[in-house]
Amino acid sequence: MKDVRYFAPTEMAEATQLLARYGDGAAVLAGGTDLVPQLNYYERHPEAIVFIGNLNLGYVKEDDSKLVIGAGTTLAELLASDLVVAHFGILADAISELGTVAIRTTATIGGNIANASPAADTVPPLLVMDADLVLVGPDGERTVALQDFFTGPGETILDTGELISEIHVPLLNGGTSFKKVGMRKAQSCAIAAVAVRIEMDGDTCTDARVALGSMAPTPLRCTTAEDLLKGETLDADLVARCAEAAVGQTKPIDDQRASAWYRIKAGKALIAKALSEAAGLGM
Amino acid sequence: MTEYVGMSMPRYDGVGQATGRTKYVDDFVLPGMVYVKVLRSPVHKGVIRHLDLSAAENTPGVVGVLSAEDVPGVNLYGAGGDQPVFTPEHIRYKGELIAAVVGVDEDTAMEGVEKIDIQIEEQTPVFDMFEAMKPDAPLVRPDSESNLWEYEPGQTTRVMYIGDVEEGFAQAEHIVEGRYQTGEQDHAPLEPHASVAYLDEAERLAIHTVSQCLYFQLGQLAAIFGLPMSKIRYIGGTVGGGFGGKNHIHADHVAGIAALKFGRPVKYRETRREDLQYSTKRGVFILDYKTGVRDDGTLVANHIKLWHDSGAYGGFSPYGGEKCSMFASGPYHIPNIRTEAQTILTNKAGSSSMRGFTIMNGQFPMEMQLHKIAEETGIDPWELRFINAWRDGDKGVSRYTVRGAGAIEAMKKAADLAGIELPEHLLAMDSRTPPPQRGEAADVVD
Amino acid sequence: MKETLSFVLNGSPVDVLAAPTETLLDLLREQLGVTGPKRGCDEGDCGTCTVLLDGQPVRSCLTIALTVAGKEITTVEGLADGRKLHPLQKAFHERGAFQCGFCTPGMLMSAKALLDGNPNPTRREIVDHMSGNLCRCGSYEEVIEAIQAVANGEYKE
Repeated sequence: MKDVRYFAPTEMAEATQLLARYGDGAAVLAGGTDLVPQLNYYERHPEAIVFIGNLNLGYVKEDDSKLVIGAGTTLAELLASDLVVAHFGILADAISELGTVAIRTTATIGGNIANASPAADTVPPLLVMDADLVLVGPDGERTVALQDFFTGPGETILDTGELISEIHVPLLNGGTSFKKVGMRKAQSCAIAAVAVRIEMDGDTCTDARVALGSMAPTPLRCTTAEDLLKGETLDADLVARCAEAAVGQTKPIDDQRASAWYRIKAGKALIAKALSEAAGLGM
Repeated sequence: MTEYVGMSMPRYDGVGQATGRTKYVDDFVLPGMVYVKVLRSPVHKGVIRHLDLSAAENTPGVVGVLSAEDVPGVNLYGAGGDQPVFTPEHIRYKGELIAAVVGVDEDTAMEGVEKIDIQIEEQTPVFDMFEAMKPDAPLVRPDSESNLWEYEPGQTTRVMYIGDVEEGFAQAEHIVEGRYQTGEQDHAPLEPHASVAYLDEAERLAIHTVSQCLYFQLGQLAAIFGLPMSKIRYIGGTVGGGFGGKNHIHADHVAGIAALKFGRPVKYRETRREDLQYSTKRGVFILDYKTGVRDDGTLVANHIKLWHDSGAYGGFSPYGGEKCSMFASGPYHIPNIRTEAQTILTNKAGSSSMRGFTIMNGQFPMEMQLHKIAEETGIDPWELRFINAWRDGDKGVSRYTVRGAGAIEAMKKAADLAGIELPEHLLAMDSRTPPPQRGEAADVVD
Repeated sequence: MKETLSFVLNGSPVDVLAAPTETLLDLLREQLGVTGPKRGCDEGDCGTCTVLLDGQPVRSCLTIALTVAGKEITTVEGLADGRKLHPLQKAFHERGAFQCGFCTPGMLMSAKALLDGNPNPTRREIVDHMSGNLCRCGSYEEVIEAIQAVANGEYKE
């Protein structure tokens, strides 16, 4: 551990060059809430720690009918942002149940995404809003859809040297809801989490998004459930069929937090609750 | 003096806690102090075939290494007297200590641990008590014939009785049977196990300990170190939560051996994960009940078989089984009781004491059994408890005479707090007066 | 490789060398002898290492020391004014808001951050805010009452 180098670049170009130079030996440090336990427990032995907290990536802006969120924005800042509360309430809902005050002070939204945990609480809300990520690398910048970002637990499409710099969230219509169940309310990793967005024309659903956390190797868009909803009259029966279809797309695991059996049960109940709430069904 | 009785007083040492000045063991940082990291078994059961510590020893910044051969006295400790500090050969549970590396800091010591060359022949473990009792089960103790703890040579069942349960069952109109189980639990005090050891100005081995019970452990440590107790200065008193988990030695043995071998102040602390995964737990209990009840609700016989999962070593578990036997009939007068307790070794971290040690493991199933009796006989559960509750002068299974019984008064209070209105004839009862239903107790058979 | 680090600790400037993987908790406890913040889990779960970073509560066990360059850190040692206890310390002590006391340094810092930002919290707000500070002795009720008492002005500076 002794020969680890530490860098705190103030320019993005410098940061991406450092990450490219150290490759797999580099550890990106933002809020540290996921990385530092791995260091404390000798699970990771990086050659270099690149602290990206001096890159001025902490901001929330409204720009051309979308929210632009700097990847270095802390969860506490997002929770306190009027723009987030006004336009993206389910993100605030998800964050208010994520970790605890002292975790949210330092943890960043970019870190929550890049860490690529299947249980990342900010991801299902971002998925139902069709969010894009801006990735910056030594060779420039690209924009990718969030739903194409994850490839497995802890695995993403980020290339060597690349960082998430911004999250773009279109200000879409529709009712939304976020539901999560964990071992306890505070400071617990999701056993199952659900975000939905549903656009209605009277009783008829015109468009819908359903996303799940902790139910598969990556956060998941449930397109089968979405397809069932579109153009249909929303009632209790349809909600139940959607919940069934959505969990049919999942591959939950047994672990110390919950069994796969329980995750399916809980996931179904959460989907039904969230759909009803988002559509204003009051079921 | 008496004016303070019933008053809430601020703690005499509370300012220390509120200012952060109270020194817990891990708060001691001494000049020249060195740090320990340990090699734990990665397998649940196995035999060490090869152990080479030289690469660890040659790591820059490493002061030295420890393994079974470095234990100066007896390499056995624990309430069962059967657990090695460092296992020399046989591994009984995942996380068992094999060796330690002492370095100028924890990172260096860990670097040494990662370089240890070890080969273990993995064997099939057994985790379930009933599996462990089968004749062909893997043996947790390689030198024994079964996984049952021997209370005395050849004696694997601890029996307690009062009266004669068969005579009791003969009087009973109802026989109710049930099986109840309680699970494992970790103490998880906020302060993990830690120890600081050094040789003091009088060449005594001074140890700052998180122990809850210094005098349970001092003798064990003296044996491990091969020192008279007068050569050990065992300093405790400030404990960051224990809940029974700090009745067992977790760190003082290793820190002490290192301080003796290297002559420097030593700190050894478990990480939270080590503490959660490998320290002692409240062990699993399974109890089978067969209870005889008269039509009027009088309990006349209780036959209990109980099994206590000890984990890899004896620890307090054999005693725990005995203690559970004493409490497994609850605060109820039953003239004929027989308990048969067995303690079973499995390939898990050892069981230990924990809050209300083994008492609720007996009282919870007895209360569940009473519920079942109430359901099967149609007798009101309050009635059942009130008529059978201990009165002064009753005898429990261990044949002590009950004085100052209070179960009835406690139940009345509980009913009141829960907003339940009890019938007059129950409210009229108290712990000093025998209930009308109560027959004469059978003579105690010695 | 160690780097130089300057920050303000409990009102006084500090200049030290810190390793890249060294946490603020390690630095405070092992290098600076500031042992108020405790090591309970080293992974952000228990809350007993909580300190204030520019007034906001953080887990010192999750904070790489070098990242606090130029910042202000307050630990439990920075609460009292000489022998004059902070109202929260007084309330915790007099109301028995701890048993073993191992969680107290973190509880106090979390509580201070709460009241600094919200001088009159509801019970629900106190519970939500304090939910990341674990106490295995079970002093939660007394902790809530102590914070409420301070908010109610029962313990003046």
